[in-house]
Amino acid sequence: MRFAVAVKQVPDTMEMSVDENGSLVRAGVPAILNPYDEYALSKVLGMRGEGDEVVVFTMGPPQARQALTRCLEMGADRAYLLTDRDFAGADVWATARTLTAFIMRFVPDADLYVFGRQAIDGDTGQVPFEVAAQLGVQQFAYVESLSSSEDGFTAVQDYGDVSMTCRVPRGSVVSFGAVDPNGTLFSISDYLSAGSKTVEEVDRVSIGLGLYSVGLRGSMTKIVSTKTSSGARRNRKVEITDPAKGAGFIISELEAMR
Amino acid sequence: MSDCSGGSCSTCSSCGSDDPDRLPPGMLKVYNLNQSTADGVLVWVETEPDGEGVRIADVSLELLSAARRLSDGRVFAVVFGGAEVKPLYPSIFGCGVDSLYHVREKALETYMPEDYASCIVSLIKRIEPATVLMGATLRGRELAPRIASELGTGLTADCTGLRADGRKLIMTRPAFGGNIIADIECLRFPQMATVRQGTFPKPEMREGSGTAIYWQFKEVVGKDIVSVERAEESGEDIRDARVLISLGDGIRDRALVDVAESVARKVGGMVSCSRSLVERGWMPRSRQVGMSGRTVVPDLYIAFGISGAVQHRVGMSAAGKVIAVNSDPDAPIHHYADLSLIADAGDILREMDRAL
Repeated sequence: MRFAVAVKQVPDTMEMSVDENGSLVRAGVPAILNPYDEYALSKVLGMRGEGDEVVVFTMGPPQARQALTRCLEMGADRAYLLTDRDFAGADVWATARTLTAFIMRFVPDADLYVFGRQAIDGDTGQVPFEVAAQLGVQQFAYVESLSSSEDGFTAVQDYGDVSMTCRVPRGSVVSFGAVDPNGTLFSISDYLSAGSKTVEEVDRVSIGLGLYSVGLRGSMTKIVSTKTSSGARRNRKVEITDPAKGAGFIISELEAMR
Repeated sequence: MSDCSGGSCSTCSSCGSDDPDRLPPGMLKVYNLNQSTADGVLVWVETEPDGEGVRIADVSLELLSAARRLSDGRVFAVVFGGAEVKPLYPSIFGCGVDSLYHVREKALETYMPEDYASCIVSLIKRIEPATVLMGATLRGRELAPRIASELGTGLTADCTGLRADGRKLIMTRPAFGGNIIADIECLRFPQMATVRQGTFPKPEMREGSGTAIYWQFKEVVGKDIVSVERAEESGEDIRDARVLISLGDGIRDRALVDVAESVARKVGGMVSCSRSLVERGWMPRSRQVGMSGRTVVPDLYIAFGISGAVQHRVGMSAAGKVIAVNSDPDAPIHHYADLSLIADAGDILREMDRAL
């Protein structure tokens, strides 16, 4: 069987900070493999049987190769890096279109297309389902567990209020719902053999898309303005040495509310 | 098309010039053939099980009443389900809906993203709304991209604000973990957005009447669903609480969960938590606030030992007032609190329990 796993390289938002003017400090923030994707990949690697192949792919700048290298170290077999200046600035639609074109050209026969729930920098989690619609296949979101049997896969999906168990036909899109807070451990043999595996670069022309189908030009949404967050509140910081006094503060707030 | 160099051209009208001297002979005005006829707002009304029947999800009610203010045109709503949906009609119309489309297909009573999307796409093609809105719930965030992709239109997920400029919608959403707020426009009709709960005030319940239309959709493909299990609900929902005592990773003593429950009882609130406590098995999943949990909008949110990672903040950023108790003076939560106490969360909780 063949699994195709889509991943993304993201800045580590946990490490991101805001300076005194409220602007985002991005310098020196390390780029990591999106933890949700890492989790999805680890699940797939856990299911892999003899003779199965795990292909990973990502769209991003040339340095996104690092994220793919990490996937190979985890045990993926092959990696594709979709990189082209024209891909820059893509919104959900343009990203999905690019990934779909890639899938049709390079991994049209995968048994499952696997995604993480969302990327920690964009937080939208929309790409898997746009890809599913463009491929014309079924989609399985918030998957908690996936098992394979002779006649295909079975997924358990967690919708919060209900838990749904479905049969997953071959070629479907699966998006895992969770993330492993402790990261994943990989075997030393996979780690060592990663050096011999290659990352293949793919550009716009090789997936057969026009200039106006990808990136910023191919996007259906446009950012008209940005401002740094107004989410910060007028903060009053108090250092508390006496817990009774601290509790008093909160209780007076509670009473003020009534 | 707009690359016309101007000047001597008098053969086409596509550059949009209104100067009559530059129009082809016999033509009095410019007809913009690419002008969309789309108008109005369509809202997907999501229903939740409620005892034996169903109720409308809060976020859908918020959107229905916001749609009325966002558009001069018609407000359409679409709802799926059988006879149990009928009692909801008055409240849907009470929010200002002009036409309600009720998809009453037996095969679509269970939620299936693929067929729901195809059905809503068929409806969108018929009524041509300028805007399509859904709640940024687990289902909405899965359904909206499927629809947007089938229509080839843009989608802004998880908006925290919407305003209208004529038919055009300006959508606001945070990025980079809420550190940046972006205004986004969609370049094509229908403009699609999923909107976070609490973005708009919940309307007062009013009864109204209007046109309900059964929408026929026969091309159901179906899905091979083995089983659907209702998750056990504790009965109370943290989304309804006015005061939340929220516990995070900084809570190291399991006994503190009981202390917090006791404090919550005394102040008429509920206990919620961040992801780490769910993972430790100290709290049920239904109490989790944040991206993989629930979005809450209490009047007062008291965060005990919560560091304030992005994933948590998105779930509570709309709270009325936020108090953070954390012994780490550099924890990000302090940027997002009205009042920060630099103190041990456990000490304060115990002291509150004693004092109340």
